[in-house]
Amino acid sequence: MTAFVTLGGVYTTPVFTPNFGVGRSRDQDLMTTSRALDQFLTSVERRAFKIAQLGLRNDDDALDAVQDAMMKLVQSYSARPVDEWRPLFYRILSNGIRDMQRRRTVRGRIMAWLPVRDAEDDEEFDPIAQAPSHDAGPAKRLELDEAIGVLETAVAELPPRQQQAFLLRNFEGLDVNETASAMGCSEGSVKTHYFRALENLRAKLGEVF
Amino acid sequence: MTDRTDFEKRTQEVLEESTGRLDGRTRSRLTQARHAALAQLEQPARIWWRSYVPAGAAAAVAVLAVVLWSGPMGPGKPPFQAANPVEDMELLADADAPDFVSDSVDLEFYEWAAGEVES
Repeated sequence: MTAFVTLGGVYTTPVFTPNFGVGRSRDQDLMTTSRALDQFLTSVERRAFKIAQLGLRNDDDALDAVQDAMMKLVQSYSARPVDEWRPLFYRILSNGIRDMQRRRTVRGRIMAWLPVRDAEDDEEFDPIAQAPSHDAGPAKRLELDEAIGVLETAVAELPPRQQQAFLLRNFEGLDVNETASAMGCSEGSVKTHYFRALENLRAKLGEVF
Repeated sequence: MTDRTDFEKRTQEVLEESTGRLDGRTRSRLTQARHAALAQLEQPARIWWRSYVPAGAAAAVAVLAVVLWSGPMGPGKPPFQAANPVEDMELLADADAPDFVSDSVDLEFYEWAAGEVES
């Protein structure tokens, strides 16, 4: 993914080592890093998937994007200070989503010339996929279903930069500085994108929310 | 985040709820992805020069190709050509050609030398 090259510009400080102490073996250090990374990835993986899903509108592509981001974070940035992982991870993920969107645009132009194939035909029954994840009262669940559907549609329709700013700030909870790092832009741009995203969403969801 | 409006809080809650509802297949694949990523840490540290092996091999092949092409057999120097048998026959048959074997050659010396080598 070529977009990573830009990361060097954001984080130029040579750093670190999470608790690589004197007298500790390499195995111990690896175990510490591995545990910290496991906790970090566990804490972000579902929201990361949701962000990728809203950006790509396809579950498999979203999973690929998240896996790619995880691999690259571990491969290239595991030695960075722990508090840098989150903006780095979302920077990688954002770049991955953008690359996929571009590839899809190109592929779409090519596929437009080919006969249409129904993707449903390829789906096999997967009992794990059908497993219910949460239980709620039917009325409450119905209300939430509607809210989720409407909100996700509205977010998915936002311009990409507004969508990123909204999801990173409001959903993932990054601050303006972290969001700017993750998006590769200035803090002023983040504020502008976020403000416009909220305006757009309010205009669309005003009655529902 | 400070000073968040009700709208922001509500949208976040709904998105969190949506995230909590991810199906089993998606959760399982996320776990697999995480494990695959972490497995990279357990692999032995990459030896720096290994990453240059493919490029080095390609460069070596290119250098060898250039040497073979422009070296002793290269275009600047015509390759060795096997003797033309017709020319050889003409040379041997030519009466004015130098005598390769003549009376002036000391055959006995060569026979003696060959005998010394064999013994």
